[in-house]
Amino acid sequence: MNSPDKNPSQLAGHTAHPTTESAVASAAARELIGLVTHEDVDRARDRWEVARARVKGRSKTFGGFRLLWLLVGPGILVFLGENDAPSMLSYSADGSRYGVGFFIPFVVLTFIMGFIVQEMTVRLGAVTHRGHAELIFDRFGKFWGFFSMGDLIFGNFLTLVTEFIGVRAGLGFFGVRPAIAVGGALVIVVAAITTGRYWTWERITLSLAIFNGLFIPAAILARPDWHAVGHAMLTWMPFPGGNRYEILLLILATIGATVTPWMLFFQQSAVVDKGMQPRDINAGRFDTLLGALLASVFAIAAILATVPLFHHGINAADFQAAQFAEALEPLIGHTGAALFALGIFEAGIVAAIAISTSSAYAFGEVMQTGHSLNRPLREAWPFYLTLFGSACAAAALVLIPRFPLEFVVLTVNVIAVLAMPPALAFLLLLVNDPEVMGEHVNGFWANVAGVTVTILLIIAGLGFGLATVFPKWLGG
Amino acid sequence: MDPHFADVPENPGALASQDVSVDVKSEQLSLRDPRAVLSLLEADQVVAAKRRTHFGRKNLSTGTKALLWGLRIYVVAMLVIVFISAYQAVHAAR
Repeated sequence: MNSPDKNPSQLAGHTAHPTTESAVASAAARELIGLVTHEDVDRARDRWEVARARVKGRSKTFGGFRLLWLLVGPGILVFLGENDAPSMLSYSADGSRYGVGFFIPFVVLTFIMGFIVQEMTVRLGAVTHRGHAELIFDRFGKFWGFFSMGDLIFGNFLTLVTEFIGVRAGLGFFGVRPAIAVGGALVIVVAAITTGRYWTWERITLSLAIFNGLFIPAAILARPDWHAVGHAMLTWMPFPGGNRYEILLLILATIGATVTPWMLFFQQSAVVDKGMQPRDINAGRFDTLLGALLASVFAIAAILATVPLFHHGINAADFQAAQFAEALEPLIGHTGAALFALGIFEAGIVAAIAISTSSAYAFGEVMQTGHSLNRPLREAWPFYLTLFGSACAAAALVLIPRFPLEFVVLTVNVIAVLAMPPALAFLLLLVNDPEVMGEHVNGFWANVAGVTVTILLIIAGLGFGLATVFPKWLGG
Repeated sequence: MDPHFADVPENPGALASQDVSVDVKSEQLSLRDPRAVLSLLEADQVVAAKRRTHFGRKNLSTGTKALLWGLRIYVVAMLVIVFISAYQAVHAAR
């Protein structure tokens, strides 16, 4: 790598408001023509829109909304992307096996945990203009970098497989053949990335992601007991009874449905690709909060939609996506069941786009090749090949007869939780690094919150491990 | 690495002249002048600048190394447990 290893913050000190004398600059301008890339031009165009909205926002009562509209995206996408097929299945398992109770406020808690860690990635991306993988390699070296990447790529690939399982199962409810469902999903993934523009990709994916809200009408059709929901939110009761090992596994899967390593890598890279700057951090926080809020409402809706299965004593222990929808049909009607199945399909599609993009960003950052959705295919073909190749490989596995799909579904969320503490350790070290973050370094309470989340995840993982090795410990 | 980035100035953002500024009140934007592009981006946001500069390696304290190793061992041990239990669960279901 042709790198003088200079600290980029020294460049940032010069700021985007150049100070070089114009005589020097006019000579240098010729040099710049071959220097500015397609990616820079697209990003500058986005920044121009933001700067205009900022100026107009000051003079208009609702001008601030235009600015927020331009700056939201990565936060909503990451949380709605994480409301993916296995996550919605975990929430459905919570509702169908334990009804309204502990898991409803617990889901809200997991999204608070998610917000705490994702907010740090917004700051990291906006301040450094570097992706998460790149920063880990720069600051901790290749040894730790490859460990971190190994966790990410392995976890991402397993999760991608489950997204295509969700796509296949969701459309299976409507009688669509697996090959057509999976092939159609791949076409959508490709269509999203062929725009050659981050902004367009983001808006297409956001418009797909909002259909995660299909779980809301499905929940309403299930006629939830709102009094019980309010009681559960306030008291965290009733606490689930029965097999404590299964409860622990479900708790772990529910956490894994909200906080996972790919989210850290994806949001930071998306913030960089969007061109966000330190002055956009508050908008980035709002975006992340809005994403967490929407995703938690949709997750609770998935729980409520499947509560009728609990009331009718239907054993959903080994249910997959299509089986949930089929079992719900006589209880909440065909429309409700169809909405549920469509919701699982949507969850799979959006997550497939986001997760394959996360893998491609990380690959590009580590290999030091172009890694931006603002780049045309010819300039960043390894980036797009990684994105499309990982999606294709995952889709192909889903179509292999007798492939142990249930094995993957069982393990994916649990693996996400187990891989999270090292990812959080790197995140906390980076966000506390004054050479990297400058004045945006973590504050005391952000550290307390971040360390608490990490310790909670470690305790949950250790509890699962001990209960597996010593089943009698939990009366199993 | 893209070959056309091999000889770039260390701080391309600083090469744009001060008199090139983009009028954000205007309805039209022309980004044909690279200086206009650079004036809209932070200096370390320009692709060429990012290629030239990197954060150096951080010196890890013994405590930090111990923490990272501890977490690494934790992940490997837990993954083994997950795979064994999931394998058993799948076979029991069959």
